[in-house]
Amino acid sequence: MCWIEDLTRKIFLTYTGGIVVTTTREADVFGAISHPARRYMLELLAEDDRSVNTIAGHLDAGDFKMSRPAVSQHLRVLLDAGLVTEQRHGRERRYHLVPERLGPVRDWIKLYERFWDDRLTRLQKLLATKATKATTTKRNKQ
Amino acid sequence: MNNTIQRELRIPQPREQVWRAITDRATLAEWMFPNDFEPRVGHRFTFQVPGNPKMNFDGLTVRCEVLECQPPSRLEFSWSAGGPVENTRVSFKLEPDGSGTRVLFEHSGFDLTQPFGEQALKGAEYGWAKMLKELATVVASRNSARETS
Repeated sequence: MCWIEDLTRKIFLTYTGGIVVTTTREADVFGAISHPARRYMLELLAEDDRSVNTIAGHLDAGDFKMSRPAVSQHLRVLLDAGLVTEQRHGRERRYHLVPERLGPVRDWIKLYERFWDDRLTRLQKLLATKATKATTTKRNKQ
Repeated sequence: MNNTIQRELRIPQPREQVWRAITDRATLAEWMFPNDFEPRVGHRFTFQVPGNPKMNFDGLTVRCEVLECQPPSRLEFSWSAGGPVENTRVSFKLEPDGSGTRVLFEHSGFDLTQPFGEQALKGAEYGWAKMLKELATVVASRNSARETS
């Protein structure tokens, strides 16, 4: 039942009833991408490294009007999750996307893959046992 | 990001036998979980995933509805377990393969833009799925490079 243990550790323990109780760094990634404005930020950074001003400008143009402190707060969440890094260029700071950090999102699907591999193996074994039983019964009857 | 799980397997038993194993409530419970399945389109049922006190896991109810049921070749049901696993679809296609059966399994519809209980997104798709796909490709190619080396 290791899939349940994995799901428990990684998902169900950290996310209870939609309330994010962040306990692991991996969980932070899920929390970080759960907000549409932050996903939009990641998308902007996927195109190119950008300064906070450029990001704020795009957010304004893209229906995510918010105060500068709010922009910084969202960036902070992305930084904390390791999805984004910050570099100083003279007076401004530029933000850079770290796509590898999205690995846990991909791994999450892998948990379900393991779950089904486990179940389908059980199905195969079950059918094999039933077939053996059926043959045995037939033989007994003869 | 590929959000569909696909598996193909060959089972030496004939199709009718496999069909029974995936549609008979008791047999289904043996390889899946306790359930109240009925082989009828529109029937709503649940799988009760048992808890594991050791792991602090309370168990889980998966809500399902039969979407397609064509004996002995096609079964599809919805699979909702919360978060990105709402209204996902699980399907089994059974094809005769000699004296056995080829099983085409698919679980699709994971919504990775909705992790874990987050409310539905409001007009903020912005090609996110496409981006995730690209990012996943990057991650995957790095991983395979690591595996090869």
